[in-house]
Amino acid sequence: MIKKFDKKDEEAGSGSNPFQHLEKSAVLQEARIFNETPINPRRCLHILTKIIYLLNQGEHFGTTEATEAFFAMTRLFQSNDQTLRRMCYLTIKEMANISEDVIIVTSSLTKDMTGKEDVYRGPAIRALCRITDTTMLQAIERYMKQAIVDKVPSVSSSALVSSLHMVKMSYDVVKRWVNEAQEAASSDNIMVQVGMVLVWLFICPPSCFSFIYPCLYHVMFPMHLQYHALGLLYHLRKNDRLAVTKMLNKFTKSGLKSPFAYCMLIRIASKLLEETEGGHDSPLFDFIESCLRNKHEMVVYEAASAIVHMPNCTARELAPAVSVLQLFCSSPKAALRYAAVRTLNKVAMKHPSAVTACNLDLENLITDSNRSIATLAITTLLKTGSESSVDRLMKQISSFVSEISDEFKVVVVQAISALCQKYPRKHSVMMNFLSNMLRDDGGFEYKRAIVDCIISIIEENPESKETGLAHLCEFIEDCEHTVLATKILHLLGKEGPRTPSPSKYIRFIFNRVVLESEAVRAAAVSALAKFGAQNDDLLPSVLVLMQRCMMDSDDEVRDRATFYMNVLQQKQKALNAAYIFNGLSVSVPGLEKSLHQYTLEPSEKPFDMKTVPLATAPITEQKTEIAPVATSKLPEKPAPSRQDIYQEQLAGIPEFQSLGPLFKSSEPVQLTEAETEYVVRCIKHTFATHMVFQFDCTNTLNDQLLQRVLVQMEPSEAYEVVHHVPAPSLPYNQPGSSYTLVRLPDDDPTAVSCTFSCTMKYLVRDCDPNTGEPDDDGYDDEYVLEDLEVTVADHIQKVLKPNFGAAWEEVGDEFEKEETFALASVRTLEEAVNNIVSFLGMQPCERSDKVPENKNSHVLFLAGMNLPDIYFILKGSE
Amino acid sequence: MGLFDKLAGWLGLKKKEVNVLCLGLDNSGKTTIINQLKPTNSCLGEKNWCHLLQAQAQDIVPTIGFSIEKFKTSSLSFTVFDMSGQGRYRNLWEHYYKEGQAIIFVIDSSDKLRMVVAKEELDTLLNHPDIKHRRIPILFFANKMDLRDALSSVKVSQLLCLENIKDKPWHICASNAVQGEGLQEGVDWLQGTD
Repeated sequence: MIKKFDKKDEEAGSGSNPFQHLEKSAVLQEARIFNETPINPRRCLHILTKIIYLLNQGEHFGTTEATEAFFAMTRLFQSNDQTLRRMCYLTIKEMANISEDVIIVTSSLTKDMTGKEDVYRGPAIRALCRITDTTMLQAIERYMKQAIVDKVPSVSSSALVSSLHMVKMSYDVVKRWVNEAQEAASSDNIMVQVGMVLVWLFICPPSCFSFIYPCLYHVMFPMHLQYHALGLLYHLRKNDRLAVTKMLNKFTKSGLKSPFAYCMLIRIASKLLEETEGGHDSPLFDFIESCLRNKHEMVVYEAASAIVHMPNCTARELAPAVSVLQLFCSSPKAALRYAAVRTLNKVAMKHPSAVTACNLDLENLITDSNRSIATLAITTLLKTGSESSVDRLMKQISSFVSEISDEFKVVVVQAISALCQKYPRKHSVMMNFLSNMLRDDGGFEYKRAIVDCIISIIEENPESKETGLAHLCEFIEDCEHTVLATKILHLLGKEGPRTPSPSKYIRFIFNRVVLESEAVRAAAVSALAKFGAQNDDLLPSVLVLMQRCMMDSDDEVRDRATFYMNVLQQKQKALNAAYIFNGLSVSVPGLEKSLHQYTLEPSEKPFDMKTVPLATAPITEQKTEIAPVATSKLPEKPAPSRQDIYQEQLAGIPEFQSLGPLFKSSEPVQLTEAETEYVVRCIKHTFATHMVFQFDCTNTLNDQLLQRVLVQMEPSEAYEVVHHVPAPSLPYNQPGSSYTLVRLPDDDPTAVSCTFSCTMKYLVRDCDPNTGEPDDDGYDDEYVLEDLEVTVADHIQKVLKPNFGAAWEEVGDEFEKEETFALASVRTLEEAVNNIVSFLGMQPCERSDKVPENKNSHVLFLAGMNLPDIYFILKGSE
Repeated sequence: MGLFDKLAGWLGLKKKEVNVLCLGLDNSGKTTIINQLKPTNSCLGEKNWCHLLQAQAQDIVPTIGFSIEKFKTSSLSFTVFDMSGQGRYRNLWEHYYKEGQAIIFVIDSSDKLRMVVAKEELDTLLNHPDIKHRRIPILFFANKMDLRDALSSVKVSQLLCLENIKDKPWHICASNAVQGEGLQEGVDWLQGTD
């Protein structure tokens, strides 16, 4: 009967994985046989395996069904089958958090952990500690103490490790077991000693550490344990920089046995160096450098990689690290070659000259039998190589691009996109290569990397626009990724109408309407509308196509088609600009919140779009040059912007509720030096008639507690300070915020800029640095901050106009104002553009902030919005 | 199951297996009774621990959840689910009602104050859908009879209104679990009903 059952199961699996098509409900149904007597261990084992498999696949179990299965499982404790019992322990651990009343097995587990079967005891302890909470811990405390001093090493180490886990939960109870831990240590069992030291580290007050260090050093010879102990020590004290420094000094002087521990030390040291911004003459740096001469390759690599990744490293400091990596490049071990070339690849952009020294070795790696190493070598060469070698390298890489995995293809694409920025003239080679890659098979991440790369080439380089768009058009003809298709359609809508022959894109777009899913069809309709709006000769045919789209089976597609149809038929430039080119420029979470608010408080008035906070311009412009594709890995979901978060925070303060919607929040301005007693930075929030200054203060003195902290502001102009909201208390190292409300002058609208002199006033109470216990009485004190400036930019919000030309036309001539300014202090065109943008705080459109080289004149398009809802559009030329 | 098992059953080599639930309020002596019934040789490996157990029954800690124990008599093999009697775990009893083929209900006969609580729990048990319509034998131990102010088994059965149980065989006997007195009588009765 058992046989038959198994056979049936295998058939159902019908493949390499017998658990492939498991149904949760079917498995739970099967779990009912746990209730049968006598128990059939083999069958039950199989079902438990299925349950654990499902749990690990991320299948969601409801509380009721999980509890039911769990209770059925508890009956299996009747069986004395060893395998089954241990499977039960596993199930308990897996279900500890999803089932109710898991404590039901407590007594069964304590029985097993004190029983005579050593095989049960260790696992039972670990399972028990998973189901135990603070209140229950008292009940099993006695057993735990016994287990820690047990003679069987596996039991004792299970108990020690479990107690380590429980330290997080109930420190006070575990602390009482220190005597047992000590007793365990006095036995000569090495495993126990080590575990004991680990428990000790958690339990002892920091004052005992000086005693434990030598203990650690002499007792813990086993290599990995030294590593674990070091890791633990570090985690215990990572918030205390001084302690970490001390620890590092101790270990770097005395040396360690374990290479793992050395690697850990190097990491800690480099992190500390980075935090303290310590100079490279510090002993920590010397230590890392000395590790380059360690006998373990692992340690040498770690040290080299730490040095190479350090910010602001000089060429002289880099040289030994790079030469070590260079040595690794010719190592017979593939892992070492891989590690070395990967590290070189990463830093190739930062220190090209240092990496160039390895070029010869990298060239040898191009033909490496390991394709991953070869890929990394080629991409590194691409990053550092000269323009002339690009063609050769591209040919080389295309010979085996189909043999490497997607992940490395992405690396190749990243290298290409970096290369395009460096050598714009090579775009035709790149574009060809990319389009070939686009045609090959590949996953979503890979395709997205290519598409992003092509798009960035198009944006950087107008000459490549036509070919790039053609490649993309071809790609969407056979594209299974909705996200990419919609993205490309949007791009086509934006760029297509302005190409010399827009009509050829229409066919590709309309094919989408016929062939694709709803989301893509809707995007295609929007793209079509943009063609119709911008090209008068195409308008009639676009209208015909729109007519067809109005018959679509999907609501969204029909709605869009109907809407665009009506707008297009009006044939008005202003309408086109407002509704087709430049859509809503509000923040989506803000819009959602406002609409929700509106539905909660129904009023006669129609919903006013102007109450919705504007979307702050996306930061894609600041894309770092090194990793243009990496930025696309950010979460897709529209996270609430910084401004939305501030809006929420300010709305929580009663004094500021009547101010209306937040117009703009500035970037934080530092009002103190970085290393002073108190660190203060200010964020300027602009409202319709007021400004709120948010002072984020941090107290860096651990023997002081500041209370009632407020910032006194003396304006130079007609600004009026209305109200202060002090920060109630400012303990050591916990930032707090104080607010000051200022009314803008009504009578003089031109008085936009103003300087405030700021003084921080507060009550000081001295306190004990260790306990944080403050004295009873304090004294008033003040601290002079740097002056704070309010500038034009604080009153202007950036608005992104995707189609600047249309928006400019829409405004019309009568509002146009022309003035000429002489910018005397700037020397280059680029500097002038940057200065203007940052002074006015407006959004550059159409990438006009990028100044091409060797030009004498440049037109800058800026868009922005002023407080009383006036849109500014500025067109500046030089 | 298999042929061999059946053969063993016919020859009387294999004992019939019975699942028994051991219920009752906390501190009534359930775990002590079960430990007494367990053969002592089952804990040879931990002699000291076992010795300790028998010497001082008060050393037994409250059961949390349940534990499963097995013991054999001349004709039956018992698997006992020793359930926790503490108030907050009593609602977990019902998970195990289905497979119980007999119930041992332990009462602390010196605890007059909580006799009503025991009666209430008993009534809930008897009215549970998994128990109500089955003719399962219930054995009552009026435990701790050695204590001076302990009630007699007759008095206990009156207080619990045991005479109202008409559709199930039941039996009450006084016991002293620490010394093991009266337990064999109860188990013999349980064997006879089956």
